[in-house]
Parts: sequence; structure tokens; C-alpha cells
Amino acid sequence: MSAIKRVLVANRGEIALRILRTIKEMSLEAVAVYEKPDSEAIHIRLADQAVFIGDGPRKDYLSVEKIIWAARKSGADAIHPGYGFLAENPDLAAACDATGIIFIGPRPDVIKNLGDKVFARQIMQKAGIPLVPGTGNLPKGENEIPEAVSFGKKFGYPLMIKASCGGGGRGIRKVNDEEALKKMIPKARSETLSAFNDDSIFLEKCVESPRHIEVQILADHHGHVIHLGTRDCSIQRRHQKLLEIAPAKLPEDVLEKIHQCAVKAARESGYTNAGTVEFLVDSRTNEFWFMEMNTRLQVEHTVTEELTGIDIVRRQILIAQGEKLDIAQSDVVLTGKAIQVRINAEDPKQGFMPEGGKRIEVYQSPGGPGVRLDGSIYQGFRIPSEYDSLLVKMTVRAYDWEHAIQRLKRSLKGFLIVGPKTTIPFYLAVCDDKDFRHEDFNTSYIDTHQHLLNYEESEREVAKIAELIAEINVKHHNPYTV
Amino acid sequence: MGIQKKMQHFRITPEDLCSKGPRFVLDKLRDSAKGGGYYIANTERDLSQSDFKNRIMPHTQLIVADERNESGFFSLEITGGASVHVDLLRKQINPIEKLEILREKMPDLLFQTLCRGVNLFGYRPYPENVVRLTVQNFARYVHVWRVFDFLNHIPNMIPVYEEVQKAGCLLEPAICFSTGEEHTDEFYVRKVGQILDVTGKDIVLCIKNHGGLGSSHRIGRLVRTILERYPDLVIHYHGHNTDGADTFRIVAAVQNGAIIVDASDHAMTGFYGPPPLMSVVHELADIGYEARGLDIKPIVEASNKLRAERPFYKDFESQFFGFDPTVQLHKLPGGATGSSFEQAVKGGFLDRMPEILQKELPQVQIELGNWWSVTPGSQILWTTALTNVLEGERYKKASDDLKNLLLGRYGEFPFRFPDDNVYRAVFGDKWKQIRDNDYGPQVIEDVSIEAEKKVLEKRIGRDATDDDLVLYLQHPNDAVNFFKYEAKHGKTWVLPPSVWLRKGGFKLGEKIEFTDYKGKNHTIEVGPQRKNKNADVVTYLVVDHHVEPFVTVMEENAESVKKVAISAKEMADLAQKGDIRAHIKGTVNEVSVKEGEKVGKGQVLIVLEAMKMLNNVVSEIDGQVSEIIISAGDSVDVGDKLMSIKKD
Repeated sequence: MSAIKRVLVANRGEIALRILRTIKEMSLEAVAVYEKPDSEAIHIRLADQAVFIGDGPRKDYLSVEKIIWAARKSGADAIHPGYGFLAENPDLAAACDATGIIFIGPRPDVIKNLGDKVFARQIMQKAGIPLVPGTGNLPKGENEIPEAVSFGKKFGYPLMIKASCGGGGRGIRKVNDEEALKKMIPKARSETLSAFNDDSIFLEKCVESPRHIEVQILADHHGHVIHLGTRDCSIQRRHQKLLEIAPAKLPEDVLEKIHQCAVKAARESGYTNAGTVEFLVDSRTNEFWFMEMNTRLQVEHTVTEELTGIDIVRRQILIAQGEKLDIAQSDVVLTGKAIQVRINAEDPKQGFMPEGGKRIEVYQSPGGPGVRLDGSIYQGFRIPSEYDSLLVKMTVRAYDWEHAIQRLKRSLKGFLIVGPKTTIPFYLAVCDDKDFRHEDFNTSYIDTHQHLLNYEESEREVAKIAELIAEINVKHHNPYTV
Repeated sequence: MGIQKKMQHFRITPEDLCSKGPRFVLDKLRDSAKGGGYYIANTERDLSQSDFKNRIMPHTQLIVADERNESGFFSLEITGGASVHVDLLRKQINPIEKLEILREKMPDLLFQTLCRGVNLFGYRPYPENVVRLTVQNFARYVHVWRVFDFLNHIPNMIPVYEEVQKAGCLLEPAICFSTGEEHTDEFYVRKVGQILDVTGKDIVLCIKNHGGLGSSHRIGRLVRTILERYPDLVIHYHGHNTDGADTFRIVAAVQNGAIIVDASDHAMTGFYGPPPLMSVVHELADIGYEARGLDIKPIVEASNKLRAERPFYKDFESQFFGFDPTVQLHKLPGGATGSSFEQAVKGGFLDRMPEILQKELPQVQIELGNWWSVTPGSQILWTTALTNVLEGERYKKASDDLKNLLLGRYGEFPFRFPDDNVYRAVFGDKWKQIRDNDYGPQVIEDVSIEAEKKVLEKRIGRDATDDDLVLYLQHPNDAVNFFKYEAKHGKTWVLPPSVWLRKGGFKLGEKIEFTDYKGKNHTIEVGPQRKNKNADVVTYLVVDHHVEPFVTVMEENAESVKKVAISAKEMADLAQKGDIRAHIKGTVNEVSVKEGEKVGKGQVLIVLEAMKMLNNVVSEIDGQVSEIIISAGDSVDVGDKLMSIKKD
């Protein structure tokens, strides 16, 4: 491995920008790629060069061939995949290997192994990491249903039917009884096939209202593995994370055990680069089980960065070019609290319906102490309906939980986004929620706190009056006086 | 006692009224008046209504709030009359919220209102439960209640009297004053007696000279005669300066024992409202009368500030500068004098005004019974005289209001029935029979307040507060339109008149600074405009340092295409075919029939409201209602289709 000079970022939106910023800080050259709907995207402007890879949407960002082509064309010697798209596709990592390009991430076989949920469980089981009771890949054919039913009889309901290749909350179904199980298995299989091009599924016991807690890992090619502490990602809607916190509120001894399990999981799987080990934690007993390992940079890596001061992307690049990790575990200090909110162009009142296609007429963002923004939007930006609805991530960091909430609230109020509806007023309602203030939440939070959606739409008195002033100006008199 | 302390000693504050009650206030007024004292009320509302078509904005009132609070007026008349309606309709402010805001800035000043007995602040009689609810609501902010009836018909005012007294406010029943042989001292003294029988003695009595009629001698004698019969009565003289001579009448009223008189800020006085307050004070000082509690310095300062604001209201001042001593003939009240000229200019009959005002109107007054020309009676007199002259035929085109008046709906005639000839012209040869069978006061059933509230909430799509409901019950359609306006444009009363009443648009780069109702400062800088693909206009404004586009929908474009001119003849022809059109521009007040209903010729189909008057749309044929296009609350223009009738 040799020193990286030019990095191609195989992604779009805020994460492309996030990675480009570190590349710039390291005085490296940055290459962006873009599909047609992203022709005016801001990541193109920030990169040293940008390669058009096709009309898309999505299919060109998902094309290993196009990405490799763009890297060769632009003379990039490394590729950072970001998250989503090709990040956890072992084919890109393998193609990089084949063409002598450095893939900033784990080895293709590790991606493949950990991407296979059943295989990953086997690895963890060997390492003695607690696992939620589950089956291997269900056999196809006549044994499929009997095996599933006997698992249900043994461990009780509800159960989860999971796609072996799923991830990011996709390909998961919950069944409450045997009848539903029998009915859902064929459906789950066909859905899995169309989503992941693989119809393998397995069963897992469902832990009711667990907390979703994950550990950030860094591992170099010299056998050095450290963790950067936990993140609590329990606040989700339909398995999509909305708000993430670092570190998780857990007793010291439990934290220590979880950290060690995560490090062990990374070692056991031969992991290199940055990764995340996800656990389910029982809200009452703090008992925890391995869920899966994500072989990429996470959306919510920001909270860990803010808490530890460690630039994870920078470490990814350094690890990828073969350097030794020069941070000892004892150097990692976890003090304070960091919260990230995903500000999406969605209407929470309409089931978080995306507001794609709308224009951002006004964009003003907060600043001041302890506020970090990762976004790619600007005044006049049209939200493409072709991609996800994330506008900007805001991460606040403060001395303790109470201060963090106060800072979060203050900063949320500092946004002015005119055009689409956003998740901001919902987060403001969350800030005032008693359970949230007590740091008491789990993955059922949104379902059990539906009243938080009854917030009043924020109204801007000045904009209402400005509209009248515009009308007086246009009509040359005030029509409401006659 | 130092001057400052003495001044304070005489003042009457809301605190006095609320903690010690009306009787304490009345005793204090009587005591303070001893030895050549009197009080002066600032009737800003009447000034705004008579000389500025009620358009003085809260922004202007707030500029001088501190000065007014320190001036030591007996009271500030700041609401009532038509102002409640104009607040909603043309100023886009909630008239109750306005009081709340002004109250906060003028905590030491009694607020006064003027209301009609059955009509309150509207133009139509309201059910008694609506009257009571409205008074209860406004009484939170209004301390002095002047109540009148254009026929001086006491029963019409009783519900308001009762609610005002129940609320612990100061009740000020008015006797309307006019001139002519019927208007004797004996008549008025008898009226005062009738009032006192109902109210008891703890009232202020107002002599309401809304036209500014009679001489100073006449007013002085009236005050003296009333006080001879009721020596302890606190009399409040209210006049208008239409003939330029009200100061004389005020002086005479005080000399003869009136304790409170009305005037207003000299920087804003015009020709039809109250006279300049300082002129009154000056005149009376020289003959040994002192305005108790009054401090001249803040009064001068207020006017110094108001002078700078007056130019912004020039469009609402009278078309004609100068006093109008012919008021002694036409007797129109202050507010109606200005608007009659405005109407004459708009209607193109300015040349006929001498004839209308100086000949026809005086004659109509006598023929209808020489009662008092004040709302709603003044509208009936004016409209009748106007129609008589413009139509060239007297009383043939009687308005529904005139018909109602003739049939006693508004109350008893004070002196005599209108002339037989009037009845004959209006109702035909069988007029006597009609009058005998159908004479009597209008009985208005109480409405279900809860049901009305539900309707309101449906129309505005949100919960309604008590204030919302009260405004809605007074002016249903205009209140709803206002609520919709406010939801869209916010509280725009914070804007100065230079912005609110701007003509010709703003200069590129012009900066508009204002403080919103929450107390936040804002700056809006006017940027360029462009048309978008719908031909609507996008204006770029720099709102608090950030550029923001605002779209103005140009509905006029669309409307001008839609409207097709239609003549009265065409409309009459269409009506014969069952195609019912609007004959006037106005608002649908009521749809009197249902779809599928059988209707007969002459049956009322729809009631339209325009110019404070109700107008019936009647069927010209027998048939069945096949289609109703409009609904209550819709605005309609001349020629708009309203309904279809299928001919039998």
C-alpha cells in the first residue's frame, strides 16, 4: 500500500461533502462523481474535478463499472464509498483490488462475510458474543415452514423474519403468531429476492422495545483495534434512525462489556478500517445481543467525532494507505454528550412523507458554540425526488445531557427553511418531551409518543407581513383597505 | 396642594371605577365640578369616524399613547360606532385585541365606547342574547358606555343598560338631540325621566348632538332645564363641529351645569367631528372654568406628534374643506356628512347635492316624522332623499329598511306617524290596511350561540375564541374574512400608515422597519420583481438581511376576463326566465330558499347586504329552485349569477 494522492468519492449529498472536507484538510485531491439529477449539486463544486457518470437516477451511483471507470479517467488512486450505494457491496472493493485502486474500507471478503447476516452470526457465536436466538438460513422447500414453526414454539413470539442480505432496516418483518409466520415467509422471500437479489431469510426472536446501541470501531492492518465508544440510535421510525446520541446512557460495567464485545467482533471477523457493531439492549435488564456489523462509515459517525475529537474519515484514509493507528485505546476520551438530528425534507404529520421536488426558497442555519452542520443544501436548491430526503445533519455537543438538549433546541430554532416541510418542528417537540429529557427512550419511542406529532406548524409573522408588503408593492395600493 | 398633585387628585382612573364603583365616580365628578370645574373627554373615535372615515390606525394611536395616558382626560373614546366594523373591514385589526393593546399602554385612562341599543356596533338589530354577550365581552376593556337609539326608544336600550351595570361599568344613556318644533325641553326632560326610571340614578346622562345642531343658547337652556328637574344628574354634552360653532355650544353647556364635554386633538380636527380640545379649554378658562385633572403639556405634545401622521390619512379626509353650516338644514351626523360627499363624487351626482341636502333631505325628515338623523335612521333618510332625487319620483323605490321603519320594526315613532302620502307611495292604496295588520316592533329570536360557534369554526377551520365569536355575531362575513386575512398576513396593524396606506408601491431598495406584535424588530428591504409562468408577480424582499421571494397572485387578471357587463334591462329579462342575477355589488347575507323548493312570484330568494343596507332579491316568476350558485358570505358583483328558477 502506498500514500494516497487523489480520492474519488463514490457518493452524493451531505456524505460526499463530508468526505471531501477531510480530503481537503489532508491536502489531497478530490474527485466527485454525479448523475444527471445532481448536476447542480454542491459536492461537484467542492471537488477538484467532477466526473459525470450517467443519467441515473441511482443506477449509476450503484454501478461498480461506472465508478471504476470514473476513477481511472480521473486518475484517482483511492475510492471512498461513503454510506449507502456501493458502500457495502463487496464487488466494488474487489474491483478496486483488481485494478490497483485503494478501497477505503474493509477487505471484500470481510464485507461479504459480515453482510451475510447468518454467516456473521456464526462468526460472533464462535467469539462468544451474545446473540439473539435465531435460525440459520431457512431451508427452501418442504422443511421451510416446519423449521420456522418449531423455532417459534421453542422461543415464543413475536419473531422477526430477516433478509440475510438486508441492512439499514430494510428486509425486516415482525410476526406475532404462528399463522402470521406461515403466511409471511413466502412474501418475505420474494420481497427479499427483489430487493437484494438473494432470497435467503432467517428468523430471530424479537426483543420487544429494545434499545439500539452501536459501537464505533477503528482497526488498522497491523492488528490494532480500538473502539470510539457507543451511540444510542433508538429513536427511529420504521427502522430508519432519526436522532442519535453519543455516548449511550448505560452503567459503566455494561458499557465496558459492550465495548469489549465490539472489539472482539472486529478482531474475530478480521476487520480493518472503520466499522460499527450494532447491539440490541434490553431497556430493563441492560442485557445485550449482537445484531449486525456495518462495514462502512455510518450516517451518525458525527456524534462520535464530536465527542472524541477524532476525524473518522481521516483515520479511514490513513488506515487504507497502510498506516498504523497511532491512537491508543486509553487516548480515547468520552466526555460530554453529542446529539445528531437528521433534518429531512419530510412532513412528520403525514407519516414522514418526503417533500421531494420542492425548492428551498430560504435557507438560514444556526451557528455558535457546539454546533456542527453536515449538509449540501443552499437557497434555491431543488430537493431531488430521486434520492433520499436528508437535507442537513446537525450535531450538537455539550458538557452534559441537559445542556445538550438546551443547545439542540436553541440551534434547531436557528434554522429557517422555507419551501419544504422538515422534521425540525418534530425535533423541537422531542426536546420538550419529559421522557426524552430523562434520557428514557427505546426503539418504540416514536410509536409511543405520537402526540409529539401534534405540534403547531411554525409560523413566521415577519413573512406574513412581508407578503402583504409585496402585494402593496405589486398592486400599487393596499387592497385590504378598500 | 401643588399643581401636579391637584391635577392627580381630580383624575378618575379605571382603578377607581373597578374598585369603588360607578357611584364613587359620579360623586367625585360632582364634587370636583364644584367651584367652576368640568371634565373633558377626548373623542378620538368620533373624530376618526367623522373626519377620517374611521381609518386612524393603531400605529398612530400608539405613538401618542403615553401622552394621552398623562393628559388627564375624563375618558378616551377609542371604540364603538362604526369603528368596530371598519377595524375588521379596512384596518384588518381585531377590534377587541386593539383595546387590549391600547389598554396596556394607557392604564390610567377610562376607555369609552358608543353603541346603539339594538344594533350595537352593526347596522341591523341583533338578538338579545347576542347583544348581552357582546357587551359582556367588550366590557373587559371599556369603562364608559354611551348608549343611544335613533328613535330615543328606551326599551330598545334596556339589555345594554343592564349588561353595562352588571359589569360594573359607567353607564351613559344618551338622549339624541335635534331641532324643530317637536323637540321641546319638556319632551327631552320626559325622556330623561324614562331613562332614570329604568337605570336608577347612578348614570351619566349624555346629550348627543351628533349633527351639531341648534345654537349655544338652545343647548344651554336644555342643560339647565334638565338639571332643574334632576339637579344631581351628571350631564355629558356631546356635539359635532360641522357648522364650526360647537365650541359655543360646549361653553354654554358647561355654563349651565354640564360636567363633561367632548373634544379632541387639534392636530387632527377636521370639519365634521369634535372641535379642538385646547380651544374649548382656553375659552372656558377665561370665564372661570377649569378642566379638572387636565395637563396641557402632553396634549400639545400629542398633537405635535400627530401633525406628522395626518398627511398619511389625507385620502380619507373630506373631499371638501370647510365647515358646513347647512347641517342645520340637512341634519346629517358628522360621519355621514363626509361619506355623503364621497358617495356624490363616486356616483357623479355632486352637482345635485345642494338639492338633495338642502331641499329634499329636510323635507323627507319632516315627512317621516322629524326624529333623529343618526345610524341607522340617518342612512334611511339619506338613501330615501337620494333615491327620491335621482329617480325623479318620490318614495316609489323604497328600500327595505324604509319599509321596515314605516311598519314600526325599529320601534315607536316619537312624535307622530310619517305622512300618509309616504305610506301610500310606498305600499300603494291599501297602505292603511297593510300598516294596521302588520305594524309592530321586530321580534328577534335568540340564536343558539353554540350553534353559531360551530358554524364559525367550520368556516375558519379552527377553534373560535369568545372574542372571535362576538365579532362574528356582529359582522358574520366580514369577521370571517378578517380571520382569514389575519391567518395569512398576521398582525399588520403594527405597520405605520406610511406603509399600510402606501400608493404607487415602494422604491427599489426602500427599507421598511417595524416591530411585530411580539415586540421583535424587523427590516424589510424592497428588491426587484419578476413575473412567473402563471403571470403572477414574484417580489424579492430582503427580510431581516436575507433575500426571500414572495408570490403575489394576480387574480385581477383572471377576473377581468370572467366579468361580462350586463345591463339592468338584460337582468330583468333574465329574471323573467328564472336566471337570477345580483342587481347590486354586495355580500350574500342570507339564502332564503332551498334547492328544489317551490317559489312564488314576489317571494324573497336571497338577501344581499350592501352599504349598511339589506336588499331583497325576489322571484319574478312562479317556479322551482333548480340551482343555487352562491352561499351566505359570498361577495357578488353586479350581474353575477346567483340562482336558477325553473318556471312552472
